[in-house]
Parts: sequence; C-alpha cells; structure tokens
Amino acid sequence: MGRQHTQAYRQMPDVEVAVVYDRRPERAQAFAQEFGVPIANDFQELLNRCDIVDVCVPTHRHAEYALPAIEAGKAVVSEKPLARTLDECERIVEAVHRHKAIFMPAHVLRFFPEYRTAHFLVKDGAVGTVAAVRMRRGGDYPRAESDWYADFNKSGGVILDLIIHDFDWLLWTLGEAERVYAKALTFRNLDHLDYALVTIRFKNGAIAYVEGVWCDPSGFKVNYEICGDAGMLEYDSTKQVALRTAVRAEGGAGGGVQVPSNPAVNDPYYLELRHFVDCVKAGTTPEITVEDGYKAVRLALAAIESAQTGKVVRL
Amino acid sequence: MKVKVGIMSFAHLHADSYAHCLLENPSAEFVGIADHDPERARAKAQQYGVQAFESYESLLASDVQAVIICSENARHAQLAQMAAATGKHILCEKPLMTMLEDGKAMLAAAQGAGVHLFTAFPCRFSPAFQEMKETVASGAIGEVLALRGTNRGVNPGGWFNDPALAGGGAMMDHTVHVADLMRLLTGQEIVEVYAETGNNMYHAGYEDTAMLTLTLQSGVFATLDSSWSRPKRTFPTWGDVTLAVIGTRGIVEMDMFAQYLVHYDERGGRIRQVFWGDNIDYLMIDEFLRVVAGGERQVLATGEDGYKAAAVAIAGYESVRRGEPVAVVY
Repeated sequence: MGRQHTQAYRQMPDVEVAVVYDRRPERAQAFAQEFGVPIANDFQELLNRCDIVDVCVPTHRHAEYALPAIEAGKAVVSEKPLARTLDECERIVEAVHRHKAIFMPAHVLRFFPEYRTAHFLVKDGAVGTVAAVRMRRGGDYPRAESDWYADFNKSGGVILDLIIHDFDWLLWTLGEAERVYAKALTFRNLDHLDYALVTIRFKNGAIAYVEGVWCDPSGFKVNYEICGDAGMLEYDSTKQVALRTAVRAEGGAGGGVQVPSNPAVNDPYYLELRHFVDCVKAGTTPEITVEDGYKAVRLALAAIESAQTGKVVRL
Repeated sequence: MKVKVGIMSFAHLHADSYAHCLLENPSAEFVGIADHDPERARAKAQQYGVQAFESYESLLASDVQAVIICSENARHAQLAQMAAATGKHILCEKPLMTMLEDGKAMLAAAQGAGVHLFTAFPCRFSPAFQEMKETVASGAIGEVLALRGTNRGVNPGGWFNDPALAGGGAMMDHTVHVADLMRLLTGQEIVEVYAETGNNMYHAGYEDTAMLTLTLQSGVFATLDSSWSRPKRTFPTWGDVTLAVIGTRGIVEMDMFAQYLVHYDERGGRIRQVFWGDNIDYLMIDEFLRVVAGGERQVLATGEDGYKAAAVAIAGYESVRRGEPVAVVY
C-alpha cells in the first residue's frame, strides 16, 4: 500500500514525498531506490522531516506509529483497520482529540466511484427504506513478503482486514449497527484459506450480509446489492467492466489470461489522499473520521467474536 | 397406461406450471381439479380442458391414482391426509408443512396407507445442480467447508402475506428449496439455525427479508437469503436460486436460472430475462409419474425430505423469537 500511496502523492504538485521509514532497512532501501525518496534512519527522524505521516505498516503496528505521529503534531493518514485491538483504537481516538490532530483512517472504498455513487443514491432515497444489503469481497489469499496476513494476531483475518471495507461503507450508509452474527473459517487453521459470512442487523431495521473471501482461486471480485421498498441497486465487478484484454500465450494455444480493468482519470487512492491533503491544507476534518475508523473495527471485532463463540454479539 | 392425476387446489401459483407439465407429458392423464374455491376449480378446469370436481371428496372418489396438492401451505396436511386415506399417491407443494405436527401427521398418513408422499422440490432436477453435485462428490474442490445460498424472490402477495395460511412470510416461502439442496449436496442434516428477519420492504406483519445462518452436522456452515427482496415492478425476473460451495481446493458456484436472454420490451415498458434452460418442473412431474407407475425413485424429494427442509424454516422462526441460534427440532 505504501507504493500505491506514493504513486498517488506523486501526481500532486503541492505534495512532496519527503522521507520514508521502514523498520527493515532493506525494504526502505528498495523503496528509496524505486521512488528516489530519502530514507529516515529511525521513526523520530521521519517525524522531524515531514508534515503528514502516512502509516502503511501491517495492522498490528498501526498504533505503534500512528500514536507518536499524532503526538508529534503531524497530520496522519493511517491504513485501515484503524488498529488491531479496540484498546489501541481508543488510544488513537483519544490522541486525535487531545492533539486536535487531522487524522483519517484510509477506508478507501468510500472513494471507489461504484461505492461512492451507491452511497449517495441510497442517501438520496433512490431505493427508499433499505431492507437488505448483500456485499461480497475477495479472491485468493493475500500474499505479503512477511506473510503477516496469515497471522491472525497481526491481521485479524479476512473479517478485520478485508470486509472491514464493507463494514465501513454500511455504517456510513445505514447508520448504527445493533447486532452481528458470523461464521468463519478463520480459526480452523487451514493453510492460507479464510472465509467469512457475516449478518449485521442495523438499528433502522435493515439487514446486511457480507461475504469475505480469501479462498477463491478465480481472482479478486466484489459485488453488492441494496434492496429497499422503492428499488434496488446492484453492482458486480465481473460484469461491469469497461476494458478486457486477452493476450495469447507464447508458443500457441491456451494459457492466455484475460485482464479486466476499469480505467479512470483518477484512481480511488488518489481521490482519497487528495481529499486528505485538502483537509490538511484547509485545517478541516476529513470525511472519514477517527470515530468512523473505531466503529468499523468495533463491528469487525464483534463479528470475529461471534464467529469464535457462536453467539450473537450486540453492539 | 397413462397415470391419472388430479390437482387439489390452485391456490399456489405453481399449480399452473404443473398443469402444463401434465398436459404435455404423454404418460399423464390430467383428470381434473378440485379447490376450496369452486369458482376457481371451474375456471381452471375450463382453461385446461379437464373436469371440475365440486369437492376434494369427489375428486378423491374418482379413479385418479395420484394428486398434486397446491393449496395454501397451512392446508397441505388436511388435504394430504384425505388423499392418503383414499389411497392416492401425493406430490405436495413446498413447504410440506408450517408446523412439525402437521408434517408428522402427513408422513404417518402416507405410510399407514401405503402411498407415496413426495415434496415438490424441482430444483433437485436442475442439470446445473446435478453437475455441481457430481463435481463436489468427485472431490474436485476438496473438502466442503462452507455453503452460500440464496432463493430471493418477489413478494407473491395474496395468502402468502397471511401468516395463518402461509405459516409466515418470505422465510417460510423461500427457505426450503435451498435447504433441501444443501442437504442433498452434503448428505448432512442442518442442526442449528440463526435467523435475522425484517419487514422494511413492505412494512407489514410478516417478514419480507430473511437471512439464515445454518450449521450442518459436520460443522460446515452456510447462509441462505430467502428474502422477497426483488423489486416487484422492475426486476427482470421472478428471483433466483443460487448456491456456492467453498472447498479446501476451490469453489463451485451455481446460479440456477442464469440460462436466460435479455428482452428489452418496448411494449411492456420493462426489461425481462427470458429463461431458455430446461423445465425442471417437467422433469420432476415426469419422475413422479414414473414412480406412481411403479418405477424407482431417483431424484424426487420424499415427504421426509420436505419435512426436514420445512423444519429448518420453522427453527428460523424460533431463532427470531429467541434472538439466538437454535437447534433444529425434527
């Protein structure tokens, strides 16, 4: 995600990626070479050399870096989820308020046009009162160099890491959640395989259902449908595709892979970070607040608790 | 020899499909119709060119060998017991029953009379489902870990919105087909149910939205969306039956009625999906006729299958009452 964010910043004439820090020097070195960005030898040095801190470390280290950055008076954008535990989230919320920091949890889904458009359509009454929402997200198991996704204590599995995107969208669009019930493969100790089915009841009577997939060899795909008493919205990333490219494999028949894409002038990461930078410059609160980040983690951890205990968890 | 069949009640919309299947099947003789509503019996009999019986008793007193029951859900038990008492074989519309006692009485009546009692679960006959079942059985996707199903539809209105006759709303109407497919696919019983229901679609005294989470004997878990969540005027078809199986080595996903073309209908002012796949009602009725004629049951769902699927929906209501997952009582 550090690469993705850097590419977005490099499109902004008013932003300079001033310095990079990674606790693994070889990673910092590779990054510095790729983007021509100077390296900080420690995190304090990074804090001394920038105005905005963008935290793209694994989930279990979010608080470790976000807290000192907030305390140093920096504007901070931190990858989702806000933190690995609710206790860490509370400390971040408290620090943001104490230091009046400009802070944004990077729930980038809100800047994906297919999700942003749906949110505002629902808010404008396009489907009337919402009754049922179904959302699916996922593909094959994520692979990182350190394989930290596979460590539940670090990533929180498919619920905390992946479908928290959908949870945030739901909370943003439908308001407060009342209770959650979930089933998941997270605790089965299967080799690089996770899957979760989560049902959420909202205070307004809507029922949402989110499927998190880290076990589908056919690749990453998302879909949703939002049903209300005056209509329905649906989106399916396998169907709404503007461009498909297929190239024949070298040496003859078969083996070609089709790559679907939806080209756009601005990608969602740019839009997200542009919004954040604008807020920093204007001194305003980003549209994704630290409380939003907290609520999404609280819902995700409640879903995990339900999957673990087999009980309905009330929020 | 043709199998003589009567239809008991046209309350359920599927009766029309079954009537067509009987008329088209060379092994069937569609004898006639009886109904709670004699006017409907006359109208339908005229439509299909068959005899209108003035009462269920008179239909059952005729020489029909078998009946198809398409009454309101809550009346299945009474009609099935009447049919069994006169020695008629029975194909009963789903859900088999709305209360466990009714289902038990139906099974006992059929067994006591030595007649067949089958449940109308045509989805079993879908070639897509049959191939999915073979794929799973072959081990191609490894060990089955989880299932995800939907049977979403449009609110049918009428007696379906009267819980006294329907036994509930969307959850009673739409849980059993996919619950049955899950049982058939895994060979396992559903042992626990958690259900969330809502009524934000129609704001009435029945649930129009239902999301069930199911646990099977081996710990395999599943979800089943049985909501009437398809928009009534603009959705391009009646609904769907989908089922996905998540295995240790892969996934197989079925969208049973995805075999359609799209019709942009200028005169009707809407977009429609026109299904071109196999008629699974016909395949089901065809096997029913063969079994009544003395053949072996192969795919057709038994009364017990219908009972077990309906018990899952009944457990769903208990879960809603208690606000927690409950064991399925069979």
